Amino acid sequence: TQVTVVNIEGMTCNSCVQSIEEVISRKPGVKSICVSLVNHNGTIKYDPLLTCPEDLKSAIEDMGFDASLSA
Amino acid sequence: MPAAAMPKHKFSIDMTCEGCSSLVTHVLSKLGGVQFETDLLNKKVCIDSEHSADTLLATLKKNGNSISYLGEK
Ligand SMILES: [Cu+2]
Ligand SMILES: [Cu+2]
Repeated sequence: TQVTVVNIEGMTCNSCVQSIEEVISRKPGVKSICVSLVNHNGTIKYDPLLTCPEDLKSAIEDMGFDASLSA
Repeated sequence: MPAAAMPKHKFSIDMTCEGCSSLVTHVLSKLGGVQFETDLLNKKVCIDSEHSADTLLATLKKNGNSISYLGEK
């Protein structure tokens, strides 16, 4: 299991946080996700055989947020 | 198909602020072929579209908010 932190801009309230957690945790390979509204990011634990940070980032962008991977 | 002939679909979506409704706007504009109005106050979205209700529902579900189909109008 690997961990990645995705910076997420555009979250305005708690339901944004919940939406992201719900949608991303449904994705194959995602073991857990914890999104922080205050820190503008999400910490995702994933299986590298099934998904990758790029994939997770674009899934979040698909929802209408600005996402970027931290170096 | 002329716009007037397109079926109108109504959905109830749990939106709590402008941010939430702009996400709905985002996924719908990305889908294309839709004309819609979001009603934040009543947590409803009215969509004029030739897409099926199932397609619209699947699109809106990308946002993950609790959502339900209220029917055609
Ligand atoms: Cu929100
Ligand atoms: Cu909101």
